[in-house]
Amino acid sequence: MFRLILKMAWKNSFLRLSRTLLVIIMIAVSMSMMLALQGLYDGMAENMLDKNKRSDSGDITLYAKDYRLNPEIKNSILDAQSIKEDIAKMNGVKAVMMRLNADGLASTARKSSFASIVGIDLAEEEKFGEFSEFLNSGALNFSKRGALVGIELAKTLKLRIGSKVIFSTQDASGEINSIALRVRGIVQTTNIRLDNFAIYVPREKVSSFLALNSTTATQISISSDDETLQKTLQTKYSQLDVKSFFELQPMMQMMQDMMVIFNSITFFIVMLVVFIGILGVMYVSILDRVREFGIMLGIGMRYKYIRLQIILESLIIGFIGFVLGSIFGVLFLYYLGVYGLDLSEFADAMQSFGYETILYATIKLSYFTNTFLAIMMASVLSVLLPLRKIKKLNPVEVIKAQI
Amino acid sequence: MFSLALKNILFYKGRSITTVLLTFVSAMLFVVYVSMMDGSHKSMLENSLKIYTGAIEIYKKEYRDVGGNEYLIKDVEKITKKLELINGVKSYTTRYETYGLLSSKENSSASMIAGVEALKESEHSSIQKALVSGKYLSDLSGNCLYMGDGLVKKLKISLNDELAFVGAASDDSFAADIFKLCGIFKTGSFGFDSTSSFVSRDYFDALMYADNKASYINIKVDNLEDVERIKADIQKALNDDTLEVLTWKTLMKTMVDAMEVDSIFGYISLALFLIVIFFVIMIYGFVNISSRIKEFGVLESIGLSNTNILKLLFYEIFILTSLAILIATPIAASITYYYTQNPIIIEGISEMYKDYGIVSDEIPFDFNPFTIIWNIGVIYLLNLISIIYPYLYIKSFSPIEASHHV
Repeated sequence: MFRLILKMAWKNSFLRLSRTLLVIIMIAVSMSMMLALQGLYDGMAENMLDKNKRSDSGDITLYAKDYRLNPEIKNSILDAQSIKEDIAKMNGVKAVMMRLNADGLASTARKSSFASIVGIDLAEEEKFGEFSEFLNSGALNFSKRGALVGIELAKTLKLRIGSKVIFSTQDASGEINSIALRVRGIVQTTNIRLDNFAIYVPREKVSSFLALNSTTATQISISSDDETLQKTLQTKYSQLDVKSFFELQPMMQMMQDMMVIFNSITFFIVMLVVFIGILGVMYVSILDRVREFGIMLGIGMRYKYIRLQIILESLIIGFIGFVLGSIFGVLFLYYLGVYGLDLSEFADAMQSFGYETILYATIKLSYFTNTFLAIMMASVLSVLLPLRKIKKLNPVEVIKAQI
Repeated sequence: MFSLALKNILFYKGRSITTVLLTFVSAMLFVVYVSMMDGSHKSMLENSLKIYTGAIEIYKKEYRDVGGNEYLIKDVEKITKKLELINGVKSYTTRYETYGLLSSKENSSASMIAGVEALKESEHSSIQKALVSGKYLSDLSGNCLYMGDGLVKKLKISLNDELAFVGAASDDSFAADIFKLCGIFKTGSFGFDSTSSFVSRDYFDALMYADNKASYINIKVDNLEDVERIKADIQKALNDDTLEVLTWKTLMKTMVDAMEVDSIFGYISLALFLIVIFFVIMIYGFVNISSRIKEFGVLESIGLSNTNILKLLFYEIFILTSLAILIATPIAASITYYYTQNPIIIEGISEMYKDYGIVSDEIPFDFNPFTIIWNIGVIYLLNLISIIYPYLYIKSFSPIEASHHV
């Protein structure tokens, strides 16, 4: 019986071909557009999040207690080297790095700007966040007083590869010190503060420039997926400030939440409109066949089989729309994932707001499972109203009236 | 044809109600969303313009790209005299900006230090209004320094504390002095407040050998919409190839571009909603038409031409769209007007997005009748396009075929 009903449902779905095709196209177009948009927005947010983590604070960062309120070198972690080594041995730790930062003035022969000298270890940074991926131009090379400069700072100071820059700041003893550096590379992390102000120099050079011990650092950052690690570290290093990524960057959390809210609202509105579309077609399609249903009831077919047939018709249309939408969606997302959306025309604006000039989409299985469930639900719900009408039918009257 | 369309609308209530409802939702969404987007962009630009950047600024060519003392404007008086004669220039002020190191007893920090004409500056920027403690500058305030609160915190100083300044004078010689902190300001712009300090122009000129020199001239105009015309007038009056006259659109290009990118994404999101709604309206129209094929066949048989059928469909969709628009427009316009006057406030948003130049917790809308008109125009256009396929579908039937259609 089910096979027969399925066959009837299939045939009836395409009885009015233009009408059915319009609904299928509507579902496919709206679904693929929605998926492309969701993938692009998620891709933007994830990329920003990932790069912010890899370029700076990782999943967890340790600071000296007062450093975040007063980011001065006197608020550094003095035994950072040994703490780092201890943490590296802990379970769940993927990588650890330490940095020594100090704010000051960067000057060229013609321009000056605020800057932060960031003492790093390139090998450590590479393991921690694949630092080489952030290189925009030049080379990761610290030879001959070499330095790497954030892309926005390079723009402000009009720095090019090979340019000379003087960085001045106060050292640990309170004296104003200056260091002459040669730009070897320009980096773009999409972390606004680093791109705007960072001058990366070998950590040991920064330590001696600031008259600090080489074991001193202003931050120790950890890459880890272990959610219990922060608690463990807070207990073990109670003298330090142990913060998670989102505690340090609440804006990122807010941005992620807003993206989820925006995508959910978009999803809801689109699915609601899709529901209205299917409802309209199914309603008219059923009313067109009232006589047919009257005859079926008249010759003894039970209502539940008619109901099943109508639900199957709606599900068939919804499913074909979903399959087509998924194909287009995958194609869109694949294209945007591989080639991205090129906004190089607005490069300055994108970079100043911490975005890359080419935005890449992400693709998640949940996009398709959620949409599948929503479309199937919309398909079933859309026939409830017409079904009520069928249920109330008196077969004899219907057949008479139509004749 | 019009009365027939009206009759059809009343007869096919389901289709009519759905079309009106969906058109109403599209129109509301479109007008309100665009107003919010434009309003927040406008507010960001206006806030930035109010803080420090001028509507028009005059620079020596290469000053912005290369920089350095050789690109200072060297005959300021000659230029400003010409500015006084230009229609639309409300006022002007000159600024001498440099970067240097400021040191308190405990800390040192880099700062942008600008010599400003205190009285004129208060008309050109919001730094006087942003005073939070102490006093603003005057032409006679000598070595008084007026500093952003972020920088004050960084240097850990309080009012009347002394600060040592080290920098380079306009002739590239070494410049050093002792300043006294007389006032603290907070504009809300995180970057500006943590990097800027100001000193009276007269005093700074003597220290920096900057008499009759300026980094640039900042110009305020009577009407922001006239900037291009005023810029052209200034260029003509100056007649000097070594100078460049830039409007806020160039001075704040990064922000203008960022707004454009944001708008592109906004319109892409809106397009998704409008396309889905367009499809549904078309489907309802098509379903309605396809169930009336027989009726059209009879009408054609008694002499109704294709043009008349198109007219009929046009009237139907036009009446339904107009009805929805008539309800949606005043409601949407009232919402946008209300929120233009009473912006939505999201506490803490400026703190959260301080790195992005957000200086206010307010999200104002932009009530602009012209924008509302083109928004509504787009909805009309989409609804009118939605009758094309149903019309072509009817046209594909001959009158006899249509009369026999079931």
